[in-house]
Order: sequence, then C-alpha cells, then structure tokens
Amino acid sequence: MVGVSVKAILSIACALLSMAALHGRQLSEVLETDTLRSHVIFNHEDSSSAKPDTLELAAVQVWAGSWKKFAVGQRLLTYSKDDMREFEGLALAEFLQARTGLFLRQNGPDMLASLTMRGTSAGHNAVFWNGLPINSPSLGQTDFSVLPTGGFEEVEVHFGGGAALFGTDAIGGSLHLKTQPKFDQGHQARANSLVGSFGRWNWGAEYAFSNQRIATRSKAYRTSAQNDFHFRDLSKPGTPIVNQPHAQVKQWGFLQDFAWKVRGNQLIGSAFWWNETDRQIPPIMGSNTQDVQQDKSLRWAMDYTRFWANTSLHVKTGWVRDDQTFNIATRNLTDQLLGSADVDWSLASKLFFKSGIRHTHVIGKLSTYMARENRTEVYHASRYQPSERFSLSINLRQLLYDGTWAPFAPSLGFEWAFGKTETQGLTGLGSVSRAFKVPTLNDRFWIPGGNPDILPEESWSGEFGLAHRFSKNKTTLSQTFTRFRMSVDNWIIWLPKGNIWSPENIRAVQNDGFEYHAHFEQILTRDWKFELSGNYAWTRALQTAAATENDPGLGKQLPYTPVHKLQGLASISKGNLRIFANQQWVSERFVTTDNLSTVAPYYLLDLGLQSQWHWGPLAGQAGFQINNLLDTEYQIMRLRAMPGRNYQFNLSIAL
Amino acid sequence: MKLFRLLSFLLAWAVFACNPETPKEPLGEYETGVLIANEGAFGANDGEVFHYVPESETLKTNVFETVNGRPFAGLLQAIVEQQGRMYLVANTGKVEIVNPKDFKSIGAVTADLVQPRSLASSRDKLYIADWGPYDANFNNPDSYVAVVNSLDGGSVAKKIKVPRRPESVFADENFLYIANQAAGKLTIVSTSTDAIVGSEDVLGAPEKLQIINGRLFLYARDADRIYFHEINRGNQRILSTRTFTLSDATADFAKGERDDIYVITSSGWPDYNDAVAKINLETEKIIKADWHVGTGFYGIGFDPNTKQVFVANHAGFTGNGTVSILDANGQETKKLNVGRGPNGFFMK
Repeated sequence: MVGVSVKAILSIACALLSMAALHGRQLSEVLETDTLRSHVIFNHEDSSSAKPDTLELAAVQVWAGSWKKFAVGQRLLTYSKDDMREFEGLALAEFLQARTGLFLRQNGPDMLASLTMRGTSAGHNAVFWNGLPINSPSLGQTDFSVLPTGGFEEVEVHFGGGAALFGTDAIGGSLHLKTQPKFDQGHQARANSLVGSFGRWNWGAEYAFSNQRIATRSKAYRTSAQNDFHFRDLSKPGTPIVNQPHAQVKQWGFLQDFAWKVRGNQLIGSAFWWNETDRQIPPIMGSNTQDVQQDKSLRWAMDYTRFWANTSLHVKTGWVRDDQTFNIATRNLTDQLLGSADVDWSLASKLFFKSGIRHTHVIGKLSTYMARENRTEVYHASRYQPSERFSLSINLRQLLYDGTWAPFAPSLGFEWAFGKTETQGLTGLGSVSRAFKVPTLNDRFWIPGGNPDILPEESWSGEFGLAHRFSKNKTTLSQTFTRFRMSVDNWIIWLPKGNIWSPENIRAVQNDGFEYHAHFEQILTRDWKFELSGNYAWTRALQTAAATENDPGLGKQLPYTPVHKLQGLASISKGNLRIFANQQWVSERFVTTDNLSTVAPYYLLDLGLQSQWHWGPLAGQAGFQINNLLDTEYQIMRLRAMPGRNYQFNLSIAL
Repeated sequence: MKLFRLLSFLLAWAVFACNPETPKEPLGEYETGVLIANEGAFGANDGEVFHYVPESETLKTNVFETVNGRPFAGLLQAIVEQQGRMYLVANTGKVEIVNPKDFKSIGAVTADLVQPRSLASSRDKLYIADWGPYDANFNNPDSYVAVVNSLDGGSVAKKIKVPRRPESVFADENFLYIANQAAGKLTIVSTSTDAIVGSEDVLGAPEKLQIINGRLFLYARDADRIYFHEINRGNQRILSTRTFTLSDATADFAKGERDDIYVITSSGWPDYNDAVAKINLETEKIIKADWHVGTGFYGIGFDPNTKQVFVANHAGFTGNGTVSILDANGQETKKLNVGRGPNGFFMK
C-alpha cells in the first residue's frame, strides 16, 4: 500500500511541475470552459427540476475548487436556496428529514440529529462548508440540528465513498454546504421571519452589494423556540399527555461573505460564519435530567484563485472552531487550521486534472485531555472525456496523520450517455471507491479509555445506476435509479472494559441497497403547473463480524437504520401561488444490535401554501404550513418525544 | 328429612373441619422462577424485566411492557419485594410498583427523585436511597433518602439528607440502615422520626445490606479485600467484621448454599479478566477465587431451588446481554439471551 501511495505522490508532483508552462487567460474564458465541462455530467440530480448543470458568470465558485466534474459515476443531489425556502431559520436536519430520502437520527426538534447515509454511522459522512471540513475532530461527526439553513445557499449531497475526492469520513457520503456570492447585482436587502407553534420565532436580515469586481454579503439571524409540545409520556402510569419539559432553544449567528475579482484572472474570496446555540436538553421519557448545552462555532475560509489557459490555481486557508459546553462544567474546544493548494488543468479538451495538497493542524482541548495533530494529504483527480457521451475518472488520495498512513483511497467511475433522442436520454453510470475515516481525537486520546493504537475505519464501495430524462411538450420527467454495495471494516465501537469504555476496531458491516429519485413536471395550462418529486431508499446494513463473543448482533441490521424510507412532494401552482403536500414514511428501526426491540414505523403528512408577491420596489414570499397534519404520535428515536400537528407562517421581504 | 339434613351437615363439617389442607390461592405467573433485571443502556432507558422458569426452561421477555402496555422507560437498578409489592427501582429517577403475581402496575414514584438506587419499606412508608445530583466534580454531596407515605407510591413527602451515595438500604420495624458507598459509612435512621440517629465509619466502600442466614450483613470492598460487617440489630452497631483477601471485587455478590458466597471480581485494565470467586462466610476462607472465569460479568444470583448460579453478562451494552447458568462446579450448563445490560436476579 505504501508503494502505491508513493506512486500517487510522484504523479501529483509531476502534474504540479507540468502546470508551469501554461499561460494566463481571462476569467470569463475560463468560466466558459467550465460550463462546457459540466454539461456532460448527467447523473447529478437537481432537487426541483431538470436544470442544466452549468456555471453562470454571476455565480462563480469562489470557495471550493470545482470537484463535481471528477465525481463521475457517483450519485449527486443538489438543493438550492429556493428548495429550502420553507425551512428558513430551521435546522438543516429538518429539511433533510422532510424533503430527502436521507434518514437522520433525531432526538427531537432542535435536538441532536445525526445523519446515516447508506446504512453507515453518524461519523461516516464528511461535511463541508465552503470547502472547509466541519465534522468535529473530537466526535468525528456533525450535529445537523445546529446547522441553520440560513448559513448556506446550496446543499450538495454526494452519495457513496468519496475519500479520494474529499478525504476522511466520506464513507457513506458527504454534504457540501455553500454560499454563492454573485457579482454585478447592485444593492440587495432581504428580511425574513418564521413564526410557528411551540413558541418558535426565527428571523434573519441580510444586505448584499456587488458590482463587476466586488461582491459582499452580510447576514444575521436569530432563532428561538420553547418546544413545549404535548406528547404521551409512556414512562408514567396511565401514559398521560404532558408538555415537553426543558426543551428551550436559542440560536443566533452572523455571516460575512466577500469576493473580489483581481485583474480579471484572479479571484479572492472570504467567508465567515459565527453560530451559537444554547439548548436545554429535554430528558428522555422516564428520566428527569436537566442538562444544558451550548455550541459555539466559528468557520472562516479564505480562497485565492488564479486562472491561466486551461489551468487554474486554487489556494485555500481556513479555521474551524467548535466550542461545546455541556452542563456549564464540561467544555470541549477544538480548532482545525487548514491550508490547501491545488491545480486544475486540462489537455486537448479531453483530459482534465486536479492535483493538490492539504494540511490540517488539529488542536483539541477536551474536558479530559489535550491533543494536537497534523494531517497532510495529497490528492489527484483525473477525468478522461473522449466524447460528450462518455467520461471516465480516476481519483487518488493519500493521507498521513501523526506519522500514520491512512488507507490509500482510489476511486474509479464512468458515465455513458446512450439512447439519446429528441425527447429523452439515458445515462449509465458506475463507480468503485475506497474510503476511510481517521479515528477521532476521542477514540485515541480520551482519558480514560482512549486507544492510541486504534486503526482507521475503511470501506470499499461500488455503485451503478441509470439516469433517465424525458421532455416533450409540457411534460418533463427525470429519474435516477442507483444500486450500491459497501463493505466497512475496522468499524470502531466503544465497549465497556470493567468500569472504563474503550474503542476497538472490531465490527464489520456489509451495506447494500438502492435509491430511486424522480421528478415529474406537467404544465397544465399557461398558468397552472403540477410537480411531483420523490425519493425512495432501501438500505440493508448487516453486521458481519462479531463485536463480542457470541454477539447476538451478527448478521442483523444495525440499530436505527430503517430499511425503507419513502418521501414525496406534490405541488400545484398557478402564477405566484403554490400549494404543496409533503409526505414521508419511515419503516421500523431496531433499537439494539440483536434486533429484538423496535421503534414503530411512522407516516407524516405536511400541507402548505406559498405565495410570491410584489409591491412597488418590494418583493417577497409568504407561506403557511401545517406540519404533521394527521397529528401522528411518533418517535424517531425510542422514548424521544416528537411534536404532533403544528403550524408555521413565514414571510420574506426583498428590496 | 330434618335428621338427614342435620347428619349431612355434621358429616360435611367433620370432613372439612378435619382437613388440615386449607385452600390456597394459586401462585401467580411471576411468583415462581427467576426475574432477570436488565438495566438498559445509558441514554436509551430500555431497562426491562425478563422471567425465566428453570423447570420448563422458558424465558419470557419484556415482562413489564407486555403486561402493562407501555415500556418500563428507565435504567433498572434494583428489584425489591416488600410487603406484597414488587418495586422496580430505576436510577433514571423513578420507582415502578407492580403486583408480584401478575406484574400489573399498582403505582409509581415519578417525581422528586434523581438517581434512586435501592428501596426499603417500614410500616406504611417507603424509603428510597437516592444519590442525588452530581456536582461539577461528579460527586454527590446532596444525597438523600426519599420518604413516601404510601406503599403504593405517590409523591415524596420528605428527603433525609445522608452521607454521599446511599447505595443500599434495609429496614425493620424501627430502623433504616443505609450503606453510604462514597462516604464509607453506615447510617441509621429512626423510622419513627425519620431522622438520623447513628452513623459509623466502616472498612471498605459499603455496597450492599443483606440478611444472610438470619443475620444482617453489610458488604464492603476495597482494592484488595472484601468485608462482611455483621450488624447488631439490637444497638444498630457493627458487631464483627469478616475480612477476605480478594482483589478487584465488584459490588455484587450472591448467597449460595449454607454459608457460601459468590463474588464477582474483575482484573480491570488492561486485561479485564472477570471471575466469580466462591468463599465461605463462616470459615472465612476463599474456596476458589476463579470458580468461574470470563469477561463482561455484570450481575450474579443463586437459585436456591435448583442450586444453580446465574451470571449476567452485559456483552458490551451495544446489543443485548446474556445469562450463563452454572452448575455446582462453575460449569456453564445453559446460556440465555436476555435484555440490554443484565445486572441482577430476583429468585422467587
């Protein structure tokens, strides 16, 4: 494996040297080239419609170098700001749970929410904000309940192993949260508010200015909720209906984006995000804990990009700080300082490359230990595209952390467009990849129990799929079917050792399943339009190695991993008015590894009305929504209460 | 005819009056066999009671939820039977009370408890030993015994502040005995006044109060020894102490036949070799320190009917645990798959 890694490093070094001969060119030309490159990426699903996957001049990718064109053969989903409009001020967890085929283990509204992708664990998803990895280095995961949708304008969901492109953690998939500064837009101001049941009040205000060279945007937001909804307390005799106690949440934050086109072929960008969440943690049914938690996070990224003919250089630096205080006395502080440089170039309009190096310095000041760590990784991505119908990619990455080689991570993918007619087209796609997760700081250094000899988790995964698009007259249909299979080894679990818990690499899991996504659009008359979109995921995640002697979980589905999730959104619109119904059904989840106890399946239906309006120089949206219309009593996690029928009203005003 | 009726009556009276067998109420389903306490996992509150019948080798799972139609919803710390009621103590802050015959819910104590560990009753009152809240250093300076003025539960009427971490309680007509684990004390409370009337430092960390062969003992331990302090219930003082040189003993033991005691030990880091040690209380000898060995031992019980030893294994808490049934030589004769984190047994 070391031999392979050395080869990879050498190839990247050669690639870096070869770029020296390339000449400068204007930014607009480069963007046109990017547009051409992106057209053939057919498998990437847009959540709301079959929009072409192109870059616009006004929406330059400021923060993260373009990686999309190298994710050949893997499933991607993109959600825009408009898709998330009804969730403004709410946590990303709420949006993903309600509007996608993804399943999140949610402890309640605004409470801990961890994502499971393709049957992997919460730490097996890499999460990025403007290209910065934001998974906690101590916990190895992201709490999606403290990521407000106001902190970004686009979400890209990359399914499957992605370590070759993104590095550690991307075993089940990765999420990319982005802000998108736009040039030449003039002055813009916008305010939004959302009022809902259980004392919810969210508001946000932003101002943006841009001309041809400079783009800046400032945004502030605040969220508060009592979350004192009724629920049936199963822990008490008679199962009385009670109010959820101790669940108040307050959150506020500030964002500042800045982008500057320097001399036409250079771009400097800066993005800053401060977010703070103060939460009372409601007790699980049957307990009476009064825990409180404060999460403060700072994310700052600065990017420099320079363009030449067929080449661009991208330099990035960033700082991610997570400061969590639990019950006032327990404080966990982590910092990640990141620097990276990569080069994008092409040869003969058929070969495209990206090579780079990233270094991350991690500092952890946890309640029981202090640790520092250096992570260095080199990567190379290449794409061969002999025609518009076919493309092939090979991506490689090698990471070194504290003198330990992480598993070498290659990926191979292809896409082949065929059967194309005037009205429809098919694309076959497939990929194979290896991914890994560097053990968290807690895994190695926690006192007591941290295991300094713990190995990285690693996986091999493969997928193939078929994307179909149909468009005729007033009817549009796009659908994607993806079959995947994955094997995760050295899976880390914490086991009790006497009075001490300690992590070990003893579990192995076999994941397989399929995902189906469809979007249908029918223009009924000049004003009326009907849309239907949906996701279905079938996921098996079976434990294939015993964690303990006589492990009853062997061969069983992992806990809190539903086999089925079905989600659908139907809407009908006339002019500026839109009525929608969203539904989701989640099958039973096992509570323990031996699959003896379950949490019941649930079905939720939401109804809403959304209207766009214009009044003089002002424009905006207003909406009303009834969530859980059927007042379903349900739990996502056992004994964690969820709200019944509730209401929300949102309003936005733009100038 | 009248004479016939009289003779019949006299005959019937003679038959039934002379019958030494008075009619017995049949035993309830859960009044025989072994109740297995599954503690549950932290943060999941999935504690439960399983019921095992050795004669038929049948295991009934999730007894509380099956009978009462709702989950136990707590971490089950102890099962205590007192005055015709079965108390299920959850260290997550409640006590469920069920009928020992059929496990139907009778009542509960669900408020004003923080970390209840054990329970005793005296006269018409319940005494619930509660560690109280943790402070910033994970100590429990505000431990207490909660008093409930009804055997069927209800609200906490009074809290008696006691030394740190009251782990086990025992009550008789007049006094409540409290084993204060972290404070290293035996505390005595008058059940007439509900006030502390005595306190005594003891060797080792006090873990458990138990009647053994009619005498009240306080079990305590330290890193190298275990102690059985016999308590004089006449003056509520420690009468004598039996010391055994046994390293790494855990908090749990079970009384076997006659004077035999089974104690779980664990070597700890880095090997975590667990064992069941067999000792004799009267001879004060360790019969065999490694009578049964393994890993993951989390609770122990002895069935006086079958003479079998039951050893609970938490199996990592990530899934459900197991129970090994051992013969008189410490050999496993049967293994049961039980609930999450089995930590003890109640032998009927």
